[in-house]
Amino acid sequence: MKKKKQLRMFAVAMLLTSLSAFISGCWDSHDLNKSAITAGIGFDIDPKTGEHLITYQTIIPSKVKSSSAGSSDEQTGGGIAPAVNLDHLKGTTWLEALGNYGTQENRSVFFSHNQLDIMGKEVAKQGVYPVIEHAARITQSRPNNLLLIAQDKASDIMAARDGMDVIPAIGIANEVKQSAEFSKFPAVTRLEFANRLMSKTTAPILPIIGIFEETAPEGKTFNKVRIKGTAVFKWDKMVGELNEQESRGLLWVTNKIKKGFVVIDAPDGSGKASLTITQAKSKIIPQLTDGKITINVVIEEQGDLIEYKGSKDMDVILLKQFEERQDEAIQNEVMAALNKSLALNADVFGFGEAVHRKYKKEWQDISSRWDEIYLDIEVAIQVKTHINETGDISKAIIPQ
Amino acid sequence: MALEAGRISRFQVIMLMVGFIFGTSVIVSPARSAGHDAWIANLIGIMEALLIAGVFCALANQFKDKTLVEINDLVYGRILGKAFSLIFIWYLFHLSALVLTVFSRFFVTEIYLATPKTVILIVFIAVCASTVGRGLEVLARCSMVLISLCILVIINDAFLAIPTMDIKNLLPIVDIPVEKLLWAAHSAATFPFAETVAFTMIFAFMNNHKGRYAPLAMAILIAGLTLTLAVARNSLVLGSMESAFEYPTYLAIQMIDIGDTLSRLEVVVAIFFIFSGFIKVSVLLYGTVLGLAQVFKLRSYRPVIIPVGILMIILALTNVGSSTELYAFVNNEFPIYSLPWVFGIPLLTLIVAKLRKLPQTGGDQL
Amino acid sequence: MFRLLAKKLGISQSPKSRNQKQADQNSSSIALSRTLDINLSDIRSILGQSSDVIIHKMKIGARGNLDAAIIYIDGLVERNLVNQDVLRPLMFHMQMIEDEGERKRSNILEYIQTSVLTAGDMEPLKDIASVTSAVLTGNTAILIEGVSQALVINLRGWETRSLEEAKNELAIRGARIGFNETLRTNTALLRRIVRDPRLTFDSLQIGERSKTDISIAYIRGVAQDSLIEEVKQRLQRIDTDAIFDIGYIEQFIEDQPASLFSTIGNTERPDVTAARILEGRAAILVDGSPFALTVPMVFIEGFQSPEDYYARPFFSSAIRWIRFLAFELSIYLPGVYVALMAYHQELFPTPLLITVAEAREGIPFPAVAETLFMVILFEILREAGLRMPRSLGQAVSVVGALVIGQAAVSAGLVGAPMVVVLASTAIASFVSPSQADLGALLRILFVIIGGFMGMFGIVIVSLELLSHLCALRSFGVPYLSPITPLNIGDLKDVFLRAPLWAIKNRPQSIGSPDLVRQAGGQQPGPNGGEKP
Repeated sequence: MKKKKQLRMFAVAMLLTSLSAFISGCWDSHDLNKSAITAGIGFDIDPKTGEHLITYQTIIPSKVKSSSAGSSDEQTGGGIAPAVNLDHLKGTTWLEALGNYGTQENRSVFFSHNQLDIMGKEVAKQGVYPVIEHAARITQSRPNNLLLIAQDKASDIMAARDGMDVIPAIGIANEVKQSAEFSKFPAVTRLEFANRLMSKTTAPILPIIGIFEETAPEGKTFNKVRIKGTAVFKWDKMVGELNEQESRGLLWVTNKIKKGFVVIDAPDGSGKASLTITQAKSKIIPQLTDGKITINVVIEEQGDLIEYKGSKDMDVILLKQFEERQDEAIQNEVMAALNKSLALNADVFGFGEAVHRKYKKEWQDISSRWDEIYLDIEVAIQVKTHINETGDISKAIIPQ
Repeated sequence: MALEAGRISRFQVIMLMVGFIFGTSVIVSPARSAGHDAWIANLIGIMEALLIAGVFCALANQFKDKTLVEINDLVYGRILGKAFSLIFIWYLFHLSALVLTVFSRFFVTEIYLATPKTVILIVFIAVCASTVGRGLEVLARCSMVLISLCILVIINDAFLAIPTMDIKNLLPIVDIPVEKLLWAAHSAATFPFAETVAFTMIFAFMNNHKGRYAPLAMAILIAGLTLTLAVARNSLVLGSMESAFEYPTYLAIQMIDIGDTLSRLEVVVAIFFIFSGFIKVSVLLYGTVLGLAQVFKLRSYRPVIIPVGILMIILALTNVGSSTELYAFVNNEFPIYSLPWVFGIPLLTLIVAKLRKLPQTGGDQL
Repeated sequence: MFRLLAKKLGISQSPKSRNQKQADQNSSSIALSRTLDINLSDIRSILGQSSDVIIHKMKIGARGNLDAAIIYIDGLVERNLVNQDVLRPLMFHMQMIEDEGERKRSNILEYIQTSVLTAGDMEPLKDIASVTSAVLTGNTAILIEGVSQALVINLRGWETRSLEEAKNELAIRGARIGFNETLRTNTALLRRIVRDPRLTFDSLQIGERSKTDISIAYIRGVAQDSLIEEVKQRLQRIDTDAIFDIGYIEQFIEDQPASLFSTIGNTERPDVTAARILEGRAAILVDGSPFALTVPMVFIEGFQSPEDYYARPFFSSAIRWIRFLAFELSIYLPGVYVALMAYHQELFPTPLLITVAEAREGIPFPAVAETLFMVILFEILREAGLRMPRSLGQAVSVVGALVIGQAAVSAGLVGAPMVVVLASTAIASFVSPSQADLGALLRILFVIIGGFMGMFGIVIVSLELLSHLCALRSFGVPYLSPITPLNIGDLKDVFLRAPLWAIKNRPQSIGSPDLVRQAGGQQPGPNGGEKP
């Protein structure tokens, strides 16, 4: 019995020793100080040479702390020094460009914390699908990454130093989310874009980001990165743009209005008045009668009055007038969006899918002819707004 | 000289079955071919599975304290019975290898990109083997602890994902042709619900002699409804992209981002996938080695565990060439392939048993 | 393995076989003779010439003509009592009583035992071995000329530590008494709490040369007879030189010596021991150790403290959860940290990742090595703090921890988040001091696994531990009761601490013939509360 036990012990000891062979592999272990954490990636195609350019911002962790701590007096120039590295990769296809990665960096790139992908105008024109598709396959990308189109070149956006954020890409991502939060432009995630792309009728959209030059009172110019429009796609190629008002209209219809302001002409001619939006809901109700499609868009909104230059006291009649003006204002925004969408023949609102959900039998037929049908549909817009509060004061604090 | 001395209670059996059904379905949702109507297909699949389960439960009820191998011996006689048993054992073995394949591919694709599948499989089988070696009772106790957590977490995940959901993603209802829906329902019924036929090896060790159908039905309902919830959540969150992704649950959870703090929860999903995979593989491994021990009249099943485990790993590594092949098999061939074992053969055995008026009153013949 | 080598090299030294030892014993089982001097010389030859062995010849009896001797070990007896209750009656009062008439020699021992000596605990013994054994354990022996028996009297008393607070199991509410090293004191402490006639102490002596007194304490009718039988059997099977501490007993009778988890509970507090006995367990007390063992033990006991029962239920339940959480944290935190840092960086929220990455810049070691180094350093500090002379202890450990930590970070050897992780782990590990050793081992295990296989490895090892725990039994009781096998009634004391008036039954998992411990319906309230 003793010998058997000893034999067993020996075997176990051998086994354990051989297990160390596994340990020496540690195939997937990659240490943080050998990873380059990307914060943002830009994709460009040179229209003349067809060269593909990838620009990416990688975070320099050691500079993050010192950046935010120090350099607080810098009112001029860049403000906070950014803690990122900018790198470029070139190639004739995306994959070739990525492949060149090995020749440049001393660290392995790490996409899981990537905040956004920006695609240049030229890429949008030629079709964004190759970029989207590749990103969907690699596992490090997350479905809630934000996508953007650059007004001109993505590399410019990547290189822009706003001075507001330690890591510019995160700053831009926050900006996008803010603009969606304040109902100016939509924020589109990878998942949403893919869903729209997969749909046979809905046109994908992406916010457009560009660089503005702003002049400070002292005369110095800053480069600020701002979102300035919404790109409209047919399949994966960009066909047009929605401006600020049209983008708002789009948001109204697709039920994406959160906070924000509506500016109207005050009914008593006292100039502009502003109301803030507290709640907004919209419904798309399709109707199919005799082969003719009518879409009812019902928008309900609740808000508070926050700016009124006139001297009238608040009363129900005045509020009613405000509401009417508000209805009009919203209607105008929606109409603007609608008109642009018709002009581009791109169903950015998802009307097609609404019809699909309700009339699934007829859908097969309709979807194949959507391009023609879309121009023929009738859209009826119904807006109902309600003003809840008028702030702290209910009388004008100016004599009549 | 009993092969298995342990006895498990009804509650433990239910937990084992729920864990078993969760298996790989937590990550690779059943009824995927139905697109966003998968939840309906799932519900129909549950009903179909309840019917199928009725058959092999009736068989188990007929022979209360015998495992399927013993039943086959009784009903078909020594030689034919062993042949049927060996075929059944092959089913368990193959199923386990399939589970291992899915499991290892998931980990290698999503989380550990460079580690060879072999390593993952060896480590995993090691813990399954040691648990099976400790006996059925230990396995049941582990499942009690793990699965109660699993259920809570899955339901919790569904609720956490509510902000990212869009009810419109479920419409229109029944968008696909009915045949496709029924086929998806059938594939859900066979993978994973009807695989509980494996429990015909375990029912014999329940410590009460009431019906076997009630706990099984309950387990199918609990697990099925939870899975339907998970499937519905995936569709709600991912929209039409759900059918494009290989591992929809993993991606749906990636979308959860509450207050910027509660994000990147997919690790929790991965952990619970390990748990449910562990239960499923352990149950299948147990059924296989117990069956082999009973067929070859061994004194104990413990020496067989490691060889069978190694063979399972080998089969898992070699049975499919690519994940495309794997999913084609699971979606198209498996629902047909498993029918004989889950339905055909148990039905046949039941009929023969009834014809031969077995079990004879007055003692067992083995 | 080494034995094999030793035999091959011819240097093996097998210890005395059992048979030889028996032979030694038998040789001294000689009966006492009638002659006093023969007895005394026999005893002297066994006990030797030690200066603390007192063999005092005297003359007792009415006419002072009866030879007798008293034997005791100085330091183990209460000398005053020996003089007062043994020597005085024998020398003086026996004379006075003898005046009443002749006494036969053969009855003299009985006469002395019943009518002369004013002590309570005596017994006559017949052979040399037991007499010397009794004397060595502190009894006093009387030998009389012409009588072939010796009378052995228990007048034991020695210097012992006064009852102090149980330093390792502090409770804010609750008695501040811990066991001390004398068995009789400890049994008395238990008697003070459980004044039931069914409280039984079964005695054994274990240890070849230590002859340590062991007591099994249990309540007849509440503890299962099979349990007591099992305990006795295991104890009687112990065959060793000496029992130094109750830890020896624990290691000889436990179910699974190879397991990381201890299956025998131990405590320093009489109230905890009494509570456990009342639930149907058995307690083992050992002379010379201030700890008591309780069997069977389940996993949850490591997280229960007496405090839980003396404070009110809400607070106690919350604290119990914090204890669980702290324990989990102290085991997993370093390992998970390493796994995330080395394999799963995508699981950190982005701002946290930047902080962590920044800390990792410029550190020369891989994450595994860094963490392992820190964890082991922590264990070294802990151990050093325990063993250090009291005067240095406090200052050095605090200063050591702070300075080393700070210096290491400044020098760039270790990252600041690492120190934070370690500090939280350290504090968390002290929430359940009884689990500190277990925690240390598991922590190191998880750090190593996390470093080599990432989260997958940690989960798999946790599964293996769970599986092991599910299979573990303590004296027949599954270790994870009442969670699995599920016992809803017993769960009242696991995750939550149900109010005292609600815990009606003893835990079913331990098993007891007498399950009900209190009447139901005792919820307190202004008008007598709930009606039963």
